[in-house]
Amino acid sequence: MMVVSLVLAGFAAVTLWWTMHAWRTPETLASTRFAAPDGAHRLTFSLLVPARHEQAVLEHTVGRLLESTHEGFEIIVIVGHDDPETAEVAHRVAATAPGRILVVTDVNEQKNKPRALNTALPYCRGDVVGVFDAEDQVHPRLLEHVDHAFRATSADVVQGGVQLINFHSNWYSLHNCLEYFFWFRSRLHLHARKGFIPLGGNTVFVRTDVLRAANGWDGTCLAEDCDLGVRLSSRGAKVVVAYDSAIVTREETPGTLTSLLKQRTRWNQGFLQVYRKGEWRRLPGFGQRMLARYTLTQPFLQAFSGVVIPVGVGVAIWARLPVLVALITFVPVIPMAANLVFQVVGLRDFGLQYGLRTRWHHYARLVLGAFPYALVLAVAALRAVWREYTGRRNWELTAHTGAHLINLPAPAESGVAT
Amino acid sequence: MTAEAPTEVVAAPVPEPQPAPPPQRRSRTDLYLAGGLAAVVLVVLAWNITGFPTVTDDEGTYLAQAWAVQHGQGLAHYTYWYDHPPLAWIQLAGLAWAPALLAPDLLAVAAGRIAMLPVAAAALVLVYVISRRLRLSRWAAALALLTFGLSPLAVTMNRQIYLDSFAVAWMLGALALALSPRRHLWHYAAAGAATAVSVLSKETMLLTAPAVLVAMWQSAAKTATRPWAFGGYASGIVLVGAFYPLYALLRGELFPGAGHVSLIGAWQFQLLSRSGSGTVFDDGSGSHSLITSWLYYDTVILVAGLVATVVALAVRRLRAPALAAIVLAVVALRPGGYLPAMYVVQILPFFAIVIAGVIDEGARRLRPQRIWWRWAVLGVAAAAALTMVLPRWYVGDRRALTADDNAPYVAAATYLREELPSRESTTIVVDDVLWLDCVNAGYRREKVIWFYKLDLDTAVAATLPDGWRDVDYIVSTPALRQDPGSLPTVAKLLTNSTAIATFGPGDGRIEIRQVDKEKP
Repeated sequence: MMVVSLVLAGFAAVTLWWTMHAWRTPETLASTRFAAPDGAHRLTFSLLVPARHEQAVLEHTVGRLLESTHEGFEIIVIVGHDDPETAEVAHRVAATAPGRILVVTDVNEQKNKPRALNTALPYCRGDVVGVFDAEDQVHPRLLEHVDHAFRATSADVVQGGVQLINFHSNWYSLHNCLEYFFWFRSRLHLHARKGFIPLGGNTVFVRTDVLRAANGWDGTCLAEDCDLGVRLSSRGAKVVVAYDSAIVTREETPGTLTSLLKQRTRWNQGFLQVYRKGEWRRLPGFGQRMLARYTLTQPFLQAFSGVVIPVGVGVAIWARLPVLVALITFVPVIPMAANLVFQVVGLRDFGLQYGLRTRWHHYARLVLGAFPYALVLAVAALRAVWREYTGRRNWELTAHTGAHLINLPAPAESGVAT
Repeated sequence: MTAEAPTEVVAAPVPEPQPAPPPQRRSRTDLYLAGGLAAVVLVVLAWNITGFPTVTDDEGTYLAQAWAVQHGQGLAHYTYWYDHPPLAWIQLAGLAWAPALLAPDLLAVAAGRIAMLPVAAAALVLVYVISRRLRLSRWAAALALLTFGLSPLAVTMNRQIYLDSFAVAWMLGALALALSPRRHLWHYAAAGAATAVSVLSKETMLLTAPAVLVAMWQSAAKTATRPWAFGGYASGIVLVGAFYPLYALLRGELFPGAGHVSLIGAWQFQLLSRSGSGTVFDDGSGSHSLITSWLYYDTVILVAGLVATVVALAVRRLRAPALAAIVLAVVALRPGGYLPAMYVVQILPFFAIVIAGVIDEGARRLRPQRIWWRWAVLGVAAAAALTMVLPRWYVGDRRALTADDNAPYVAAATYLREELPSRESTTIVVDDVLWLDCVNAGYRREKVIWFYKLDLDTAVAATLPDGWRDVDYIVSTPALRQDPGSLPTVAKLLTNSTAIATFGPGDGRIEIRQVDKEKP
């Protein structure tokens, strides 16, 4: 019990240390901001928007993308051949901006996001491929910033910030928002520094030649974004993370607890797949490999400790253990509770940066909901492990998980014709 | 493809590159200067550390409790009743093996003082570091170190085994961390943890915690990380500090109840029931005589410190140590409170820093540069100060280096070790100073009894079914004779016993008295 406690304490302390990366000193905080753009538009962008049964939001999203202040970009909307409603919207929107918008139809039998993206990759004409989800709210000045970031740092990949905003919707959305906040605001920067980064699912920009050389996305992976980041990292690609609350891409938390659970299960399972795939073993540095191992298994360790630590404390209080042993079971509570303190500070900071009012009951909800949220994460982690080991990957079971080939060429249509 | 490109460490360029703060890393000069001066002061502290000042009851208490921790007997050798948080003597237990190894034949308490030298060394260096981080010149930081190190009052107090010395060293550490030039989040969290350790070493140090907050507030000013810094500090102080009530909770001793001691009960006693030692401004009060005795050792540091504190409150960079000093001073001078004998230990380093800080500020304001008369003013002021201070300190420190005030105790301990027969079976009542010597000399630990436990601890009384007649010897010392009215068993033992050996003269004498069990 003492050994478990000390290991958990060490784990929680390391996680806390990394989570707080951006706020270590005023200088590190300053270095995580997006550079102010110089106004030059040198690069061209191909923005991929895979949409599936998202006819309700697609038009708005594409409309926002069209408002971009950058001059050189095209939008490629990818729709499924079995999804006429979304296709109809896509074509209608495309007709409003001929030449800017291309609609590509994905005819793969098994539909998923990486396959949709791979379907569109051959059509990309821009220097840089960017990925957005159909429900994203993208800031008009984002592309200018990214353009500048690519040129100023000669990066191969630029990861912009994504932020869930609706923290007031329900009890878990608050924790979900803060998870994003700490991840994009702080933790990803550490990964970029260390040269190992699991990329996010959207607002991610990759140089087209680099992406093609890496054979695009892995169509069999549930966390294709993470996988791409790991593969590019292990090939030594230069990744830059830049965060600015003003131009961050805004999203919403899953609408129900079940969908949150499903989403988290998919990510966790994806992380597990990436871990098992073993591309991270090709990272050059030992420290990088350890970071990769740690990061890819973190959802499981975190879920485990999030439940075990409070339970251990309960046992220590009620089971009349020897006092010294009981005191040691409380050691992991230190980083865990410190994490909660920093989340409180983070909620305040989050509210200030996004101009949202945070009230006392939000803080109360944050503290009271911490353990239930840890339970949700634990359930998601268990589901992920169970699904992975019973082979439920939701689409075809491929033995050659390492393959990430471009799929068969799909028929493309120009935006003009419907 | 970039397969061959090296992995680079990249951060997006900063919008308006904030100039990094100039590297304030202490150069080698600071290291040598602080180390050298601290070494000199340590020699002064160590020389004749066993002979001066007179060992006190409190020192014996703490050392005995450290002994209990060392020997796995819990937090005290009697029932631990949460009188003080235990962290200081747990630390002492970690250091006290050194004296036992170096000087096994000395009086236990006197030798135990050797364990305080590392603590004093840490405090000395931290005074220097804090001074430099408050942007004092090198000479001023050295002055702070020497003032704290060589004031006869500080020499006296820093030699003794007091919980306050541990607490103050940790609080100085917290202050130094809060002033860290790198403004690292973990430095602030560590500052919080150090504050908690300090308070758990001696609870009254909580009074100086606001100084650390002020230092942090000033140090993190105009940075975007300030709320995080305070979050880190709060985490550190609360999470480390919580282990003390947690310990009580796990033992079922947090809340008052019948048949057991409790943390909250002890707090109630100390805050509400403890009788005050009178006001300083009343000639006959305990506080007055205590402060008079401090002033007797060194007027300079106390008076100059108080004046400098008031001035320093107006200087921004000196406000943190000045705040600590003023709070401690006001609490000491408040009417009707309880003032413990070692209280002054806490205030001395802060006084030293503000004295040096105010002198530094004055010298800067005067800006002598090339104006000869300004140099003359400075020279005259320095000469006057030195002629005022040096003779007094010389007298005080010479006494500390030469006096042998503990001879009677040493003789009594030797007598107890070598002259009394059948130590295994003897029940002996002693004061706190001689307790550990008796245990080391082969008396049974259960049969060596602190005199006031006879009347105050029912568990001790239960081991003596025949009351005072079960006691074979009582060692009468000034501490034991101090308050005869409140301890009836002790009074009875004194009247029903005869002195078989006496050491030292008059009121300070130590008597080994054999109990006359046949008396009615």
